[in-house]
Amino acid sequence: MGQKKFRLDVSSTRIRRILFYLTLIVLPVLAGVICLCIGRFSTTPAETLSALGRILTQGVEQGDNLAKIIRDMRLPRIAMAILVGGGLSVAGLAFQSLFANPMASPDTLGVAAGASFGAVLALLFGAGTLATQFAALLMGFMAVGLTLSIGKGKGSERSLTSMILGGMVISSLFSALISLVKLVADTDSKLPAITYWLMGSLNSATWYTVLFALPFVLGGIALLFSIRWRLNILPMSEDEIQATGSNVNVLRLLTALASTMITAACVSTCGQVGWVGLLIPHICRMALGSDNMVLVPASVSIGAVFMILVDTAARSISPSEIPVSVLTAIIGAPVFIGLLRKTGGWKL
Amino acid sequence: MTHATFEVKDGCFGYPHGRQVLKHISFSVSKGEMLAILGPNGAGKTTMLRCMMGFLKWTGGQSLLNGENIASMSPRKLFSKVAYVPQAKNASLASSVKDMVLLGRSSHYGIFGRPGAKDRQMVADTLAKLGLSAMADCSCAELSGGELQMVLIARAIVAEPEVIILDEPESNLDFKNQLIVLKTLRSLTEQGITCIFNTHYPVHALRHADKALLLDKSGNVRFGATSEVITEENMRRAFGVETVIGQIETPHNEYADVLAVNTLPDETDIPETPYEESEMEPMTQITGDTRLATLSIIVEDRENAEKINAMLHEFGQYIIGRMGMPYPKKEVSIICVVMDAPETVISTLSGKLGQLRGVSMKTTYSKK
Repeated sequence: MGQKKFRLDVSSTRIRRILFYLTLIVLPVLAGVICLCIGRFSTTPAETLSALGRILTQGVEQGDNLAKIIRDMRLPRIAMAILVGGGLSVAGLAFQSLFANPMASPDTLGVAAGASFGAVLALLFGAGTLATQFAALLMGFMAVGLTLSIGKGKGSERSLTSMILGGMVISSLFSALISLVKLVADTDSKLPAITYWLMGSLNSATWYTVLFALPFVLGGIALLFSIRWRLNILPMSEDEIQATGSNVNVLRLLTALASTMITAACVSTCGQVGWVGLLIPHICRMALGSDNMVLVPASVSIGAVFMILVDTAARSISPSEIPVSVLTAIIGAPVFIGLLRKTGGWKL
Repeated sequence: MTHATFEVKDGCFGYPHGRQVLKHISFSVSKGEMLAILGPNGAGKTTMLRCMMGFLKWTGGQSLLNGENIASMSPRKLFSKVAYVPQAKNASLASSVKDMVLLGRSSHYGIFGRPGAKDRQMVADTLAKLGLSAMADCSCAELSGGELQMVLIARAIVAEPEVIILDEPESNLDFKNQLIVLKTLRSLTEQGITCIFNTHYPVHALRHADKALLLDKSGNVRFGATSEVITEENMRRAFGVETVIGQIETPHNEYADVLAVNTLPDETDIPETPYEESEMEPMTQITGDTRLATLSIIVEDRENAEKINAMLHEFGQYIIGRMGMPYPKKEVSIICVVMDAPETVISTLSGKLGQLRGVSMKTTYSKK
């Protein structure tokens, strides 16, 4: 019974667990360091590392262009990629458990559409980066709040299907509002900025935007990490969840809150980056099985690696930057299809 | 005063603006007893199960665990003592069997808690005890219905509960798997765990359960010792089915059986009058016509001699004579018991004895 699958056993012994976690930490660091060397301003790895050393030890001196590029452009961008990639992946993973649906993504409750509308509205009024970010975050939370209040049926019953439907309604409502904003936006100055922002890119990443997103993303990840065993229970029937002594509503609300915090913060800093929240959790499941104890840390790490690589490609393949969401789809889809065919079907 | 392990007092349930589904349900089960809940489709068996555990709120009455109202207990406390086994629908979850069973430990931890090595060991032990070790690493999605049901029972067992409540545990299973599930429940009750289950099979209740509760579509309820509840008259009233309840005889034993013969026309489906109050009396208080019977028993398995003694002791008030004789040459014991008791009491005892492994048993009734 049970044909052997290509699946890594990472939790059966203590040594395997330690090795597993070590790998999860080393991989993003390694990817980050490698990608630090890549870019339009070409450097050798040795030069990059010595510049990194200078940044860490004595600060950047006047005229040290390489150190300046690395400190002000590449490092925050890589930090942002780690936050966005790791965050969106684990948020997707949590939503797939929450809705017991392999198709659920971080956007299921309408947070991305809401946050985009907030950002677009701010751009229309010519707001700066931080103000745009703030407006996006606020609107993202508002959208989820609206979805939850729609999904709430009579009494305390809150069915998951009506929450998904509510999310669809709110998403399309905010999409329509975005179109409306584009319609009235000035075609010379505002519209290109809005359109470009909507495509999703990490090129606006600075240490300020990183610091803005950091508490929300880290907070959300920490919350999901601490309830990661309970995520195994979430896809089951309501009676079964209750029979484990958990409060269904609290558990669902915590999961939704954590995922919303992460997604809203990510979308508000770099626009809609699609695919990551669907792709990475499923790749992890195919490789590691269905235990969320393992999947939560793995999704964060693999998501971060994936985003670092994709974003590096986005900024260095062609002279003009390619929007990162275009690349996530172009790279993600074939990889995903390949894995799907190799392992046969996707299940939670 | 000791409390019954699990008890429902005057439980009523109706949906708002809907019909009253359950009316004045009262029953109690003690430590190590097995209760079967029977009733036609739509009588509210599953609803009752959900009310019993607080998934739905009784609109009247209460459930008591060791005398304490479960509505005032924290979910963690309640579900570390009561485990629930849902129907084994084909799970879309790909969790491995051991991860699935490990979830049974979650009532012992808070929302941020995680199981440790001790819990994993308990899972391994439980799987071994149920003979499921070979499938520990399999995905639940690959299991057959019978295997999945056993996994869900294992998940309930690792919670170390006092009471296990199962929703139609043997539905959708084949012959052999039904028997495996029922025997597993029996062995749980022998370890002192109280089992309550819904079933569509009167014969399963009759052969395996100590007590039975029969619901009918108008919300009336009949509770008592299994052989008093599952009678031809009650089957006719609750299910609208004409049945023959009798025994299948083999050279070794007699087995109770319920045979559905005919459906009755619809108008007799629902009884106009509820069951009379006197029928609600528990077994031990029944007085009235008794019959004389001899039970001849051959015990091949020494370990069961103790159990038989305990059972006979339990029915001591009805036993008027008893003879025991070891026969070392064949390594068996021969026991003969004479009873003067109501027929239902006699058949309850003979049913229980017949369940034991390595026991041959026959009952002979007097003519009047």
